[in-house]
Amino acid sequence: MKFFKSFLVVCLVMIPISALGQKAKTIEELAAMYDSTSCKECHAEIYAQWENSHHARSLMGVLGGLFMTPLAMKDKTPFSPNDPKEATLDTFPCFKCHLPQAVISADDDFAKDYATALIAQDKARIDTLRITCIVCHNTKAIIHKRSEGHPEANVLYGTKEVAEHDDKRFKKVKKSSIMDHAIMCGQCHGMGPNLEFENPVQCATLYGSYMHNYLSKGGQKQCQECHMQKVDGVADHLLAPNWNDLEGTKKLLQEAITLDIDTVGYDWLLKSKDHKPMVVVNTRVNQNAGHRIPDG
Amino acid sequence: MTAKTSEGKEIYNTERHYHPQATDCRSNKMLYGAQVKTQYIRDTSLQPFETKDESFEIFLPEGVRTVDVTVSLRYEIWKPDHMIEIARIDKKVSLDR
Repeated sequence: MKFFKSFLVVCLVMIPISALGQKAKTIEELAAMYDSTSCKECHAEIYAQWENSHHARSLMGVLGGLFMTPLAMKDKTPFSPNDPKEATLDTFPCFKCHLPQAVISADDDFAKDYATALIAQDKARIDTLRITCIVCHNTKAIIHKRSEGHPEANVLYGTKEVAEHDDKRFKKVKKSSIMDHAIMCGQCHGMGPNLEFENPVQCATLYGSYMHNYLSKGGQKQCQECHMQKVDGVADHLLAPNWNDLEGTKKLLQEAITLDIDTVGYDWLLKSKDHKPMVVVNTRVNQNAGHRIPDG
Repeated sequence: MTAKTSEGKEIYNTERHYHPQATDCRSNKMLYGAQVKTQYIRDTSLQPFETKDESFEIFLPEGVRTVDVTVSLRYEIWKPDHMIEIARIDKKVSLDR
C-alpha cells in the first residue's frame, strides 16, 4: 500500500495539469504548463536568441521593473483589489498580451498568487512566467478559429509543416496561415485602446500605426522582415529591439532614423540700422520604419 | 540642441519632443501607464516615410560672432537616464567670412 501511494504521487506530479484540463492556480503551475526548455535541445540558437528577448521577460518590463505592481496595490489603478488575496484575472488586463496563457489556462487563484508575488516584489518567481515558444507557436498561432479550428494540444505551428517532430509532447508541426504575416505580431502589438475591459487599457499601438500609416504610404514589409531577419537562414528570435541592450537598440534605431542639419549665420536686419546677429539651425529627421517611433 | 560660445558658455538650449501623448479622457492631464491611458490627444512621433523639419533661430549676445552648435537626437526608454543617442551633429557657425 505504501508503494502504491508513492507511485500515485509520482504519477500525479509527472502528468502536466494541462493534460488533465485543469487551470493553473499558482505561478509554478502556469510556468510548467508553458515551459519550453525542451525546445533548446534541438533549437539551441533560436532558444538563446529568445532568452535575450523581451518575450522571455514579458512581465519584467525594461531593466527588470515589475510594471504590473500598481495593479496589485490598493487604490493605485482602477483595476486594483483592496487586498492581493482578492485579485482575479480581471485585475490584470495586461495578461491579454503580456501573459496570454493566463487568460486561457489559469484561474483566479493564479491571479491571487501573482498579485501576492508582485507585492512581495518576488522577481525570481515572476520571471518564470514568459511568452514562451508554446505561446506563439501554439496558443496564438491560429486566429481563424472558425475556419481552421483551435490550436491542437499536441501540435506546434510554424511557417512550414513538419510531419514528424521529435518531441514528447508536440509530435508534429503544422503550417500556420499567419506566422509570417504582420497580423501575427498585431495580435498583441496593438491597434489602440482595448475597450473590452471595464476600464480602457492602451498599451502598444504599433499594428494600428503599421496598418494606417505605413501600408497607406506604400510600405509592403511584414513585421518579421525587419524584426526577425534571418541569421544563417533562420529567423532571429531576439525580436529586436532588446531595450536593455542600448548598443543593439541604437544600431536598430540608426537603421531607421536619420538626422541632417543646415546652418547659416548672418546679421538680420529687422528694422533700419538695427542688425541682429543670428544663427539659424534647420534640422531634418527622417524615419523609414514600418510604424511610428516611438509608440505607446 | 545647444549653442555655445568659443569659450564654452551656453547661450541657447532647447528641446523638441516627438512622441504620442495620451489622457484618460476624464481630464486633460497627460498620463503614462497602459492601465489608465485611453486615447491619444496628440501625436508628434516620427511617422513612417515622413520628415520632421524644425527651424531654430538663435539670437547671439553682443560680441559673439561664432558659436558651436550641437544637435543631438535621443531616444528615451522608460526613464530619462536610460537613453540612446541616435545621432549627434556638432558644427561651428560663424557670422564672419
